[in-house]
This record gives sequence, C-alpha cells and structure tokens, in this order.
Amino acid sequence: MKCYLGIDVGSISTKLVLIDTNNQVLFPLYLRTAGNPIGAIQGGLRELNNKIKNHNPDIEIAGVGTTGSARYLAGVITGADLIKNEITAHAKGVCSFFPDARTVIEIGGQDSKIIILENGVAVDFGLNLICSAGTGAFLDAQAHRLGIPVEQFGEIALKSKAPTTIGARCTVFSESDMIHKQQVGHLTEDIVAGLCQGLARNYLNNVAKGKNIQPPIVFLGGVSENIGMRKAFEEALGQRITVPPYNTVMGALGVALLVKENPSPKTKFLGFEISDKDIRCTSFQCQGCPNRCEVIEARIEGKIVARWGDRCGKWSNLNLEKA
Amino acid sequence: MKKPIITFARWGNYTIAFKTIFEQLGLEVIPPEKTTSQTIAEGAKIAPEMYCFPLKVTLGNYLPALKKGANTIFMVQNVGGSCRQRYYGAIQEKVLKEAGHDINFLDFRATPKDIYSMIKKISGASLLQVLKAGRFFFKKLHLIEKIEKLAQFCRPREIEKGITDKILQESLLKLDELKKEKDFQELKKEILKRFSGIKIEKNKDLPKVGLIGEIYTVCDPTINFEVERKLGLEGIGVYREMDITYHIKKLIFPWKDWIIQRKINPYLKSTVGGHGRDAIYEMLHYIKEDFDGIIHLLPFGCMPEVTIRPILEKIHLESGIPFLSISLDEQTAEAGIDTRLEAFTDVVRNYHQYKSSKL
Repeated sequence: MKCYLGIDVGSISTKLVLIDTNNQVLFPLYLRTAGNPIGAIQGGLRELNNKIKNHNPDIEIAGVGTTGSARYLAGVITGADLIKNEITAHAKGVCSFFPDARTVIEIGGQDSKIIILENGVAVDFGLNLICSAGTGAFLDAQAHRLGIPVEQFGEIALKSKAPTTIGARCTVFSESDMIHKQQVGHLTEDIVAGLCQGLARNYLNNVAKGKNIQPPIVFLGGVSENIGMRKAFEEALGQRITVPPYNTVMGALGVALLVKENPSPKTKFLGFEISDKDIRCTSFQCQGCPNRCEVIEARIEGKIVARWGDRCGKWSNLNLEKA
Repeated sequence: MKKPIITFARWGNYTIAFKTIFEQLGLEVIPPEKTTSQTIAEGAKIAPEMYCFPLKVTLGNYLPALKKGANTIFMVQNVGGSCRQRYYGAIQEKVLKEAGHDINFLDFRATPKDIYSMIKKISGASLLQVLKAGRFFFKKLHLIEKIEKLAQFCRPREIEKGITDKILQESLLKLDELKKEKDFQELKKEILKRFSGIKIEKNKDLPKVGLIGEIYTVCDPTINFEVERKLGLEGIGVYREMDITYHIKKLIFPWKDWIIQRKINPYLKSTVGGHGRDAIYEMLHYIKEDFDGIIHLLPFGCMPEVTIRPILEKIHLESGIPFLSISLDEQTAEAGIDTRLEAFTDVVRNYHQYKSSKL
C-alpha cells in the first residue's frame, strides 16, 4: 500500500503524519523536539516504523515532505521529496478537512500565524514579528511558575468567574503584571483566565492586525489544546471557533497531502534505517567574501550529505562526492 | 589641512557610480565595503538605539574605511524629503567624533549649487572637470540601473539557472574597475551584448510582484536580503520603480509630486515625508497594471513608511491583491524573511492562477 509521510519539525514539538492515497490519516505522531530536532526525527521514524511493522507491514512510503522551522534539516536527513513552508502546509491541511474555512489561527511553540483562505487557497497571511509574546513557550513558562501542569491550564481558566485584566503587549510586562495581581491576592484561576484573554487580544492586535477575519474560524497548533484560549478567542471575536481533529499535527498532514498531489516517480526517502544512523550537523563561517555566511554541513555516518546556508551557492553546489 | 581621503555611505550597486565622481576629480577615495551582518552590528553598536536602520548601516559602512585611513566623509542631506534622513549628517558626525575618530564630516544639501560648491571646495577642480565627472557619474548610474532592470527581466525566465546573476555581478565588477570615460562605450556594448545573450523562455506566463517602500532598503540588495534575486529565482517577475534616477527626476520636476498627489487623493491628502506618497501611488499603479502581489520594504523606525502602512493594508483589503510588509533592522533573521517570502510566493501564484481561471 502506498503511503505518504509528512514531517513538521517545530521549535517545541515534532509531528509526523502518515496518510494513504485516500487522504486517510493512518498514524499521527506528536513528540517533543526537546532541543534536538535530529533526535526527535529519528525517534519519530523509529516509532512509526514499529507501528507499521505491528499493524500493517505492507505499507510502502511513496513520498516524504517536510515543513516547520527545521524543514531544511529534516529534508536533508530524511531525503524529502518536498520541503514546504509551514503556512502553505497548514493552509493545505485545513482546506482538505474544511473546504469552507476562511480564517486559520495557528499558535505554536515559538510562533503564531494567521492564514486567510478563499476558495480553498491561502490569499493572505501574517506571522508574529520579532516578539513571540503569547505563544506556547510563554504559556509553558507561566504554567510552570504558577505550579500548574500546562495541560490543565485551560480547565483552570474556565473556572474563573471574574478574570483580572492582564496587559499582554509584551511577555515581560504581562509577567510582571501577573506577579502584581498574584501578590494583591487574586485567585489563580482569575489570573490564568486574564492571561488567556490578554494573549488573545495581543494576537488580534499584532499578528491579525489588518487582516480580514471571516467565519468559519479554525484554531490550530499546540495552544489550541488549551480550552481557556479557545474561549478567550471566541469572546474576543464574537464568533464560534472550531478546533478540528488533528489540530496539533495539521502542518505535517498538509505537507503529506502536498507530496501526494505532486508525486515524484521515485521517492528520495532514505528509509527508516536513518533513525539508527549517526547524524551530525556542524557549521563553519565561510571566509570567501565579507558576507561571512554560516555554512551548515550535515553528515550521516561521517559522510557529508548536504551543505547549505551560503548565499552564493559556492558550498551548496559543491560536488559532494569529491568533498 | 590634511590631504583628504574620502569615504561615503554605501548604497547598493550605485556605490560604483558615486566612487567615480571622486576618482574623476583626482581625489583619493576608499569606497565603503559591502554591507554584511558584521557591518550592521558595528554600526548599531555606536548608533543611538531608536534611530532608523539606515543610519546604523551607513555608520557601519564608514568604519572599515576609516580604519584604512579615510579622513573625510561625504553625507548628503534630504535625500528622501522631509524625514529623519535630514539629521543623519549631524548625528553621524557627533557619534563618530565621540567614538574617537578624527574626521572631517561634509554634510550638504542635495541641491546642485550645494553639491557643486562642496566638491569645488574639497577638490579645487575646475568647472569643466566637475561637469565631466558628473557626466561620467550619470553614464555609469544609468547603465547600473539598466542592467538591474535587465536582470529583473531575465532572472525568472533564464534557462540556465544562475547565469543572470553571474553576468550581473561580473558586469558590475568591470564597471567598478573602469577608470577612463573613453572606454565606457565599449564596455557598455560588451555588457549589453552579454545580457542579450542570455537564453530565456520568451513567452513564459509569470506572476508579477511590485517592490515598493523606502528607497534605501528597496534598492540595496545587501540590506533587503536580496529579495529581488530570491523571488526571481522562484520564477516571479519583480518590478520596482524606485531608483536614483526616479529620485533625481522628482527633484528636478516638481510636478511629478502633484501628479502623485492627485492620484492618491482618496487615501492621503498631504505629504508624510520621505517617499510615503510614492508607495501608495505605486501600489495603486501596480494594481491597475494587473500585478499579482506587492512587497513593501521599510527600515524599522521609518516614520513615513510606518505612517502609510495602514493605508497600504486598506488598499490590499479592498483590492484583494496579496501584500507583504517587511520591516528590516539589525535583529532581522534571514530565516524569518525566507519563510515569509516562500509563503508569499505561494499566495502570489494562487492569486495569479485564480485570476487567469476567471478570464
């Protein structure tokens, strides 16, 4: 049976999705990147291989696509047929499930984005700029500081009857605001609910500024698991928000669909063996011109498989056999 | 007075033409080095933090030249109309002197009279010499702008990938080395011949993107992360109206501003400084020309461009044309720009397909 694999390597989590030719999701996988994308990809592939062996041994990988902030790295070490940015990947994933969706809110570990869809294609998008206020990493840190598991953050927020106001323009301010509220004696649930509202407001004022937000609205990414944030968005927008199935792995799903639609005659996939090989990345500064590009070198079992990061193409076009 | 050794602010490929003026007048000149992350970091270190980005970059450009022995800096005022660029000279002089550089800072206005008297004072050249140098400057400038436009045209259509950039870089290098005006015609012919020799797919249906925004960031590929090249290689036709000739024309013929004002009246009724009005005008113009996307480039803290950004966003919402605004400063990471450009390319292609399917 022919299957297509999508891999989304983000800052906090790594997602793998395997789909068949009928766009059915066979295995969704969600792992923590834990600062080691190579290890996370290898671990994910190993787990996937075990599942395939146990459930359906006649699965054959016919194409691999990668997305997320580590898409180039993931593409090089798995031998991807397609490397796509996360915006197009998410748009594709959403459109195959919700052809009528008009707005996609996606909040991940380090970034947050908005995608405006029309007739099943992305027509506009926005990404958070320099600041990552209101993303998963900040919620993680605050949950840790308040001593509540991040998974229960949303439920605690829902308990609140009178959320406090917390300024969320910048995480540094909102943290000091939170501490102030906590020292004044507000209930934890009120603070947590206030924080959710603040983050939703911040998102709408920054990332979604100047975008034409129309229903139906779909909410994706790790933060969409948080019911408190869902409610905050519903209140701020005055619209119902849908959180679809596979909400956390939508990027990987989208890129798998894209590979399926543009199949190459023979996949470049390097096989599941890659998960047991020694993969290392090193970088050096090219001294060739004043640009001083940082060139990244990926080695599998000591052999250089790819170089990238140079602007002029001097290193990435080098014949690797000779190197 | 010491013998002047001149350096000046770098501005993309046009630096070559500026260098020529000083050389022709027999002055010693150390041209500013290519802008790199190192230059930007060095400049930002000594510049006031909240000042706009080009001030930091140009400061960084002077530093290596000063190290090599330059002692005189040329800085033109008022290039972009009424914006903070006017105070660049005064601030840079103060900052550099505070950093312990013993320099002669020549700050002058962009009027022919001021430029002439300044050049006259420093070089002691005759009127004829100055005119000759000016003529050579314009010749080089026009050729640079012409081959930039040719490269924009050829890049997305080229059959052998990367050939256009190779020829562009080699041509610029040769132009930089050219010292005598009498050899110019021959070189021009050779360069244009090489460009016309590039094999291209003539009737390719390309999505078109217009580049608008602040003149310095739009024109200098080392500042804007080579937006033009990256889009071109992705098979997108890139156009921009901003260059030095455009700016000079506007200085000489004031009615250009009146025409622009008339066209943008529904959106903005007065000037906001810099090239704010021009950006709105260009965006409306590109929409009329059936373009498939607009990229707005601005340096962080650019007052005119920040002021008009909401207007551009409004035009984008009204017309539906894909729009991407990129604000550049020393913190900007190339990876972030690349992700946005890649996604934008997809959006532009979708829009282009959607439009052609409607026909």
